Amino acid sequence: MDKDQQLRDERLVFYRQDMEKIEAVFQEFLELSGSLCAMLVDKDGHLITQAGHTMSYDPDTISALVAGSFAATCEMARLLGEEEFSLLFHQGKKESIQLALVGDRSLIAIVFDVSTTLGLVRLYSAEMVAKLVDILEKAKKRPQAETLAVNFGAVVDDNLDGVFGG
Amino acid sequence: MAQVSFANRQVSCKIVYYGPALSGKTTNIEIVHQKVPDNHRGELTSIATEGDRTLFFDFMPLDLGNVAGMNTKFQLYTVPGQVYYNATRKLVLRGADGIVFVADSSPDRFEATIESLENLKENLAEQGVDISKIPLVIQYNKRDVPGAVEISLLQSRLNPRLIPHFEAIASTGQGVMQTLKTLSKLVLDQLNRQYGARSIAGSAVSVQMKEVSLNAKNTSSAGTGKAPSRVDSETEKTIQAVSAVSAATRPTRPAQPRPVRRAAPVKPAASRISPPRSNKKIVRQVRNVSEIQEPTERHIGRALLLLFLIFLLSGGLAVLTWSLF
Repeated sequence: MDKDQQLRDERLVFYRQDMEKIEAVFQEFLELSGSLCAMLVDKDGHLITQAGHTMSYDPDTISALVAGSFAATCEMARLLGEEEFSLLFHQGKKESIQLALVGDRSLIAIVFDVSTTLGLVRLYSAEMVAKLVDILEKAKKRPQAETLAVNFGAVVDDNLDGVFGG
Repeated sequence: MAQVSFANRQVSCKIVYYGPALSGKTTNIEIVHQKVPDNHRGELTSIATEGDRTLFFDFMPLDLGNVAGMNTKFQLYTVPGQVYYNATRKLVLRGADGIVFVADSSPDRFEATIESLENLKENLAEQGVDISKIPLVIQYNKRDVPGAVEISLLQSRLNPRLIPHFEAIASTGQGVMQTLKTLSKLVLDQLNRQYGARSIAGSAVSVQMKEVSLNAKNTSSAGTGKAPSRVDSETEKTIQAVSAVSAATRPTRPAQPRPVRRAAPVKPAASRISPPRSNKKIVRQVRNVSEIQEPTERHIGRALLLLFLIFLLSGGLAVLTWSLF
């Protein structure tokens, strides 16, 4: 419970400088490993950012499934006496996916195909995860500098009427 | 836990439908999927058994569009309601920003409904969340069932705090959208309280100051130097609003009178004068000020008020000088 409370208190808010660094790390990884795409997802299932050939995937659904899948295997890990599994790998006929833990609250999902190898992906993903952890730690410590617009609450009503009906 | 990204100008919240087995959670989300316009939602994904009983979760993304500059999204989940899927319910409940509790009005499901609400309370507590602190609405579904439990009895057992509740017949769509709309509003209101303009000392004023400088910019001409206008009424309103915010954040400071040194009203003209150079400086200074931490809130307020007066005086002086010559 304490860890949950700590994660809630130290919630991450992302700014342009964070995204630029993360995207740079992704681009470097994709070039080196030959992977198709990489997605950074938080454990609650929200997509943070992505890079690579992601057009054919619905990012919201993938993020939710990745988070759910990881959460389910974490419970298995606890039953086995482990804190959590830090790495998951699902192999397909043409494309495979590797999920890895990034810090306390995020996951990286890497999709790759037969044009590269699992070993190469694992080699470079370990380096990438270390860099991402560093970026996220710095983002966590930064004081919040931006806020939602003053009229956010007022505009919400109009949007809700548009989507759910007046 | 809502995800906020000022980089992508995006906000993403998680809403979970909770309740006993077969209470109508999945039906709710299916109705939402049918009724929400295609451009505001994604596909409905269900991880279910062959008998269409939710095994892990149902999921559907919703896009509310641009809300005050932020692309606002919801992720809707349902949990499996059967008792032995409690471990899975906990996983899905993680990070929820709002909950719809779908109660079954069938008389033979009354006890199961009460147990499910207790289960929700326990699972939230296990994650360190107080049920009274999280946005929650109750939907009394299946109101068309013969012998449906009276609302007053349901309320007394399930809703002693009198949180928002709705009667529904989810299979026909009745009450579904109203339930979700109300919860969405509660979730976004809470988000606004956490990330909104007053949540950080000085930031409210910094946001408004940016608007002031932008308004002043918008009233400038391309340097034609023709007849000046009076200070833009929107700018004036913004200045008043910001002054009010400044005063509100520092209750011990006496309210500042509205600055009266403004440009004298003149005939409206097609073109306007350029704003004084000090506007840009003010924004830069305010931006720097807004990054200072809370302990200097009093100093921030004083500095900002002084900057306001300087801005208005210099603007007024410039207009006055122009009109004289």
